[in-house]
Amino acid sequence: MRDDTIREVEQFLYREARLLDARRFDDWLDLLTEDIKYWMPLRTNRYPANSKAISILDGSRYEEGDLSGEDDLAIMDEDKDSLTRRIRRLDSGMAWAEDPPSRTRHFVSNIEVEPGSRDDELRVFSNFVMYRTRGETEEDFYVGCREDVLRREGGQLRVAYRKVVLDQTVLLAKNVSNFF
Amino acid sequence: MATMQMASLVDTEKGVINPRIFSDEEIYQQELEQIFARCWLLLCHETQIPNPGDFLTTYMGEDPVLVVRDRSGKIGAFLNICRHRGNRLCRAENGNAAAFICAYHGWAFSNDGSLQAVPNLQDAYYGELDQSQWGLIPVAQLDIYKGLVFATFDPAAPPLLEYLGPTTWYLDVFFDRREGGVEIIGGIHKWQIPANWKMPAENFCGDGYHTGWSHLSAIGSGFGGSFRSNPSRQGAVVSPANGHCIVGLGPDDPSDPDVPEIIAYEESIREEVGKRMGERLRLIRPHAGTIFPNLSLLRSISRTFRIWHPKGPGKTEIHAAVYVDKAAPPEVKEAFRRTAVRTFGPSGVFEQDDMDNWEGCSMSGLGVVSRRHQLNIGMGLGHASYDEELGGVASDYRLSENNHRAFYGRWRELMDSPTWPKR
Repeated sequence: MRDDTIREVEQFLYREARLLDARRFDDWLDLLTEDIKYWMPLRTNRYPANSKAISILDGSRYEEGDLSGEDDLAIMDEDKDSLTRRIRRLDSGMAWAEDPPSRTRHFVSNIEVEPGSRDDELRVFSNFVMYRTRGETEEDFYVGCREDVLRREGGQLRVAYRKVVLDQTVLLAKNVSNFF
Repeated sequence: MATMQMASLVDTEKGVINPRIFSDEEIYQQELEQIFARCWLLLCHETQIPNPGDFLTTYMGEDPVLVVRDRSGKIGAFLNICRHRGNRLCRAENGNAAAFICAYHGWAFSNDGSLQAVPNLQDAYYGELDQSQWGLIPVAQLDIYKGLVFATFDPAAPPLLEYLGPTTWYLDVFFDRREGGVEIIGGIHKWQIPANWKMPAENFCGDGYHTGWSHLSAIGSGFGGSFRSNPSRQGAVVSPANGHCIVGLGPDDPSDPDVPEIIAYEESIREEVGKRMGERLRLIRPHAGTIFPNLSLLRSISRTFRIWHPKGPGKTEIHAAVYVDKAAPPEVKEAFRRTAVRTFGPSGVFEQDDMDNWEGCSMSGLGVVSRRHQLNIGMGLGHASYDEELGGVASDYRLSENNHRAFYGRWRELMDSPTWPKR
């Protein structure tokens, strides 16, 4: 991967994070393609198949994976329309989870850029820490990784696919009212 | 354990409660004894562990519980605790196992709870350990109603059907309105909220009042469709028995998500469901409720049931699942799944807005002056009566706190009574 492409992707992700932290949600929406799938699956705490803590009864059916599938429940499973409506809701003056608003700080790191499945796309991996504080003393850390497909539309990179994986299984924040 | 009498803190005749019941550590410990160690609690839906060996771990009160389908297909439930030194036996949320082996010293328990193997049984225990006495501690009673697996730790608790009483018809509307009942979409939303477990329980038990204010932004931004934007005067809150509470709309009030696949599906099965459920469905459209103490149901915007696991007076762990009619076509199940994710659950645009309210309400008893003042559950006091056709005490108007009073009334009875209080 060319250095200037990597730099361009890094700058894109940092800018995106800054827009979210500045609550410039409409500008952030512009960075998403019309056909985006924005997905945050569930994570489950499971034994690997070789664990000696259980003796598996039916090995043929045992699933080691700890992520929910596309047909399963998820924390978020959004398209452009639902993301847009989530953001419109914030303008209502009655979106109580964000009123008073969260103060967030996104840290993005471990960025890897690979060719995508199409010429105009890139596959991008990154890690994130999102710190949220709210009200008087609320504090939440959302930590995880993302798998993105970035697509070049005209001169502009946009997110066409984003899978957000949180590391917690029982979420320790009382809600997820911010974006990643 | 000496019990503290709750009569001074909960007065359902006057419609007042004291905020201490949401934050007092002593009251909380009494709840664990008097409520959670005695009542029938939901463990799971049987489709969550469909095959022999399938297991999941959950809680009954603060007691960790292992629910497992054994080789013969029978569902059992045990304290998820190794009998040797008390270690947490199974540390995974779900899976499949013939046996569970403690990570500390290797005691092995079969999935029917029996102690199968003990390392060094001959040399260190001299072959003298009676394994039959050291199996996993089972629940006192376990029973299944329409796929819902319930258990209680109290051998003296009335049988499940008696405990549910006339609430069963309402459960059927949620879980058995079509042949085959329901199945669960894969995965459970699990998250912890800084609120007392009774706040969400009372909310689902009868709080139609908050919807039009707390959730107006979600409705207004198209997540609730026409739901409740123009409700009729019909509908009622109904308490069939034993603190169980149901919220019902008028029979023709819209309560489904405004999603084309769902609207078309609901229309297509309306007659079938009407026939199966009988006359009462022409009087009321049940759409939320709480099965005492901590199982809540919803069949409106999202089709979800959730267990409010207590984790101390100020903390609750939510386990929420989404159910769909087994007989529904795949595209309808998918529509329910998507709608559920976007409306209820940690990021749900409805549910995320409840948390600050439940947190705020739970903390009001922490201040010594605040707790001198009672809170109000008096809406519609004197405007409810037993309704033969609805099979329970029903409010005259759809907005009422009569179910709150039924819930806290039952809570007080159980808290105060050393034996099973009859109703």
